[in-house]
Amino acid sequence: MGSRASTLLRDEEIEEIKKETGFSHSQITRLYSRFTSLDKGENGTLCREDFQRIPELAINPLGDRIINTFFPEGEDQVNFRGFMRTLAHFRPIDDHEKNKDPNVSEPLNSRNNKLLFAFRLYDLDKDDKISRDELLQVLRMMVGVNISDDQLGSIADRTIQEADQDGDSSISFTEFIKVLEKVDVEQKMSIRFLH
Amino acid sequence: MPVRDFLRTSSKLSPFQPRYEHLLLLVCVLGTVLPLGVDCNTSADNHQNNGTQKKSFPVLSFDYLHVRLPFEIALWILLASLMKLGFHLIPRLSNIVPESCLLIVVGLLVGGLIKVVGEAPPVLDSKVFFLCLLPPIILDAGYFLPIRAFSENTGTILMFAVIGTLWNSFFMGGMLYAVCQIPGTGLENVGLLPSLLFGSIISAVDPVAVLAVFEEIHINELLHILVFGESLLNDAVTVVLYHLFEEYAGVGSVTFMDVLLGVICFLVVSLGGVFMGILYGLIAAFTSRFTSHTRVIEPLFVFLYSYMAYLSAEVFHLSGIMALIACGVVMRPYVEANISHKSHTTIKYFMKMWSSVSETLIFIFLGVSTVAGPHQWNWIFVGCTLLFCLVSRVLGVIGLTSIINKFRIVKLTTKDQFIIAYGGLRGAIAFSLGFLLDKGHFPMRDMFLTAIITVIFFTVFVQGMTIRPLVELLAVKKKQETKRSINEEIHTQFLDHLLTGIEDVCGHYGHHHWKDKLSRFNKKYIKKCLIAGERSKEPQLIAFYHKMEMKQAIELVESGGIPKIPSAVSTVSMQNIKPKRALPQLSKGKEEEIRNILRSNLQRTRQRLRSYNRHTLMADPYEDAWNQMLIRRQKARQLEKRMTNYLTVPANHPDSPTMMRSRLSSDPQGYSLKLNSGNVPAIVVDPATPQSPESMKLLDESSKPGEEDQGIVMRAKLPESSRTDDNVFTPGEDSPKEQRLIRCLSDPGPPPEEEKDDEYQAFLN
Repeated sequence: MGSRASTLLRDEEIEEIKKETGFSHSQITRLYSRFTSLDKGENGTLCREDFQRIPELAINPLGDRIINTFFPEGEDQVNFRGFMRTLAHFRPIDDHEKNKDPNVSEPLNSRNNKLLFAFRLYDLDKDDKISRDELLQVLRMMVGVNISDDQLGSIADRTIQEADQDGDSSISFTEFIKVLEKVDVEQKMSIRFLH
Repeated sequence: MPVRDFLRTSSKLSPFQPRYEHLLLLVCVLGTVLPLGVDCNTSADNHQNNGTQKKSFPVLSFDYLHVRLPFEIALWILLASLMKLGFHLIPRLSNIVPESCLLIVVGLLVGGLIKVVGEAPPVLDSKVFFLCLLPPIILDAGYFLPIRAFSENTGTILMFAVIGTLWNSFFMGGMLYAVCQIPGTGLENVGLLPSLLFGSIISAVDPVAVLAVFEEIHINELLHILVFGESLLNDAVTVVLYHLFEEYAGVGSVTFMDVLLGVICFLVVSLGGVFMGILYGLIAAFTSRFTSHTRVIEPLFVFLYSYMAYLSAEVFHLSGIMALIACGVVMRPYVEANISHKSHTTIKYFMKMWSSVSETLIFIFLGVSTVAGPHQWNWIFVGCTLLFCLVSRVLGVIGLTSIINKFRIVKLTTKDQFIIAYGGLRGAIAFSLGFLLDKGHFPMRDMFLTAIITVIFFTVFVQGMTIRPLVELLAVKKKQETKRSINEEIHTQFLDHLLTGIEDVCGHYGHHHWKDKLSRFNKKYIKKCLIAGERSKEPQLIAFYHKMEMKQAIELVESGGIPKIPSAVSTVSMQNIKPKRALPQLSKGKEEEIRNILRSNLQRTRQRLRSYNRHTLMADPYEDAWNQMLIRRQKARQLEKRMTNYLTVPANHPDSPTMMRSRLSSDPQGYSLKLNSGNVPAIVVDPATPQSPESMKLLDESSKPGEEDQGIVMRAKLPESSRTDDNVFTPGEDSPKEQRLIRCLSDPGPPPEEEKDDEYQAFLN
């Protein structure tokens, strides 16, 4: 299985992915085997149905949104590089990457990019603001059906009131960052990919 | 009599003690010593008088003996509490020296005093320690354990607790044995097994000492949970090693079979303890489901079941500490959902009180036992023990961290490692275990005890005192003092779901996956059994939000000020918010009327007061608030009847209890009037009506209570039914169609004079 996977994935590709995302060689191969196991159509790309076949994702309240983040704007297929690019956001931050040269662009798994990824999950209409409705939608998904709209509305209002600093009744990205400054995002948004 | 001498010396000393607190302390100390000195004399007197001749009827007699034991216990606890009080009255001292050190010093002084009096100072009896003094502290720690931090670092904590303690024991035991073998030290009789036993006793990090010191330095949560978790979980290792070596020290040799049995024993001890704790925790949660009618004894169940868990574990020689922790952890979410707010406060404060008293007593007794105990000082042994303790701790931490960091997302830095190593304090558990040793099997027991006490003193005094300046010096991250905001809660849950999803995509069954599975299982099966009624379906977010609102409401009342409502929305929700009302300007006639009304109302109040006894304890704040809300709705109805022409109101919907409760929290939807851009409810007043400016202002005022009380939802009335006098509250009668009924004036309403009176009446009610 492992050898078959690496013959399908060319070494130059692995190098490129390594440079772009920072994953190690073994991690890339392992994730490639996962990619191929999900790819039932065996055409080298994943479509939405492939993701929806994962049972746990179906019961996840954010399942649909997570699936959508894998697919670039307007497309219905994602190849392995896109797959890795999305997953790269969840790589743990390495210590030596913290002192990087400021001229080089930020790696995909920096704290800022992680937060941006999460922000984009809230902000569906991509106007760089989490409006009250968007927040309500997310709350409704997380909380279930038993709670009334009014109560969710009051929670949403309270949330925006706490976070909003420029008074536009919505949460911008900077406000989002500020609210989460006490949360250890580096740890919360990282998956321990095995070596 | 020695007592009189003391009194004389104290009075001589008093002119030189200008501070009141010092005098208080001295008097208390003497008060403790007094009965111990006096009782032997009085017992002799009583005995003599009974036998010989008929004496006159004793009007006043002195019989100390039959209250001696509880009296002394109470006196010790009183002494401990007064010491605690005293320390905080001396400002500079509590900043430099941690409390534990001061308490040990006090214990030394008291022990010294008792010895001077001529009595034998009481030693810290191991039975008393393990059965009475230790459980409250551990229960307090377990019940309030930060679960999230603990579960995220479980692997690290277990590594430190199990492997770290094993390493410490064997290293210490081995090195000490090697030292003892050096000819000329006089220690040749210390065999391998006794030294291994000694190593196992001395190597365990003590939760009491760690708690006492770390609480004061407010270090960040990660380090706190690492050191503290380690101190809790190493109990199992200590128990097994201790019993293993104690058993076989007499025999003199340990075979491989014994080692294997020891490993199995370790698994049984730890897992069995945890299992016992979980069992009792579930039973306690189940019991709390039915306590809605007997709120008064709710806290008792929490304490009793936890203590039973501890004792039951001790029966089987399982790890009592782990049982207690498991019980507290399992019990807490369900019990807190079931019990009333007051019981929750009671539990919290009782636990804190007991654990505080226990801790104080433990340290004082350590001091007293130091003075009391038979000592055998051996420079080499004690010095080597101390040295090897430090060395093994440092080596252990460094070695383990290098292994652990390969598996951690957030690595432990050198600073972290230093604090972990430095925070490995030893305490009273080591002493008690040493005290339990049988002198027959272990002739060097006194030497062991001396060494243990020295190590304890060193760690508590030197390390305890210097850790705070070191933390400052190294700029270690401190604890976040602020409470969790609703934003953090929402986003943290959001991220949890996100990460679980990503883990599923990767096919990686990691931390989030199992946590998600557990919480799903919990929600589906367990919560239904263990939580009463509606609360079982309440999502975590809603529960958190309610708690937050309640806390804020209580804070607002305590600060007593005008509630700051930045956008008039969603802040306070509970019944005891009484916003400041600006009184309108009154004419003389009106003032007189108000006085009459007040007089009549106040007389009525007296009859309404209930007598308070423990059977009529106030109900749950939810229920209370609900009742209050009903009353207010009635009043609002009456008020509203007079003001039907002027308000724009939405209707209320027939609600389920959950939604009723939710309505107690903010209900801004009830006031989302699209007429204004702001969130202030607008009062549409038609300027054509003959309304005086006075009553208009009054309307403003009267409406504000409605807005801020939040529970009031005013109902629009159709003009035909405005005269009906329904004082009875009927929740279900409103149809949802009466939603946004904007009422212009069609009906001029009752004459202004009469109206104002009723408004005043309702206003003052």
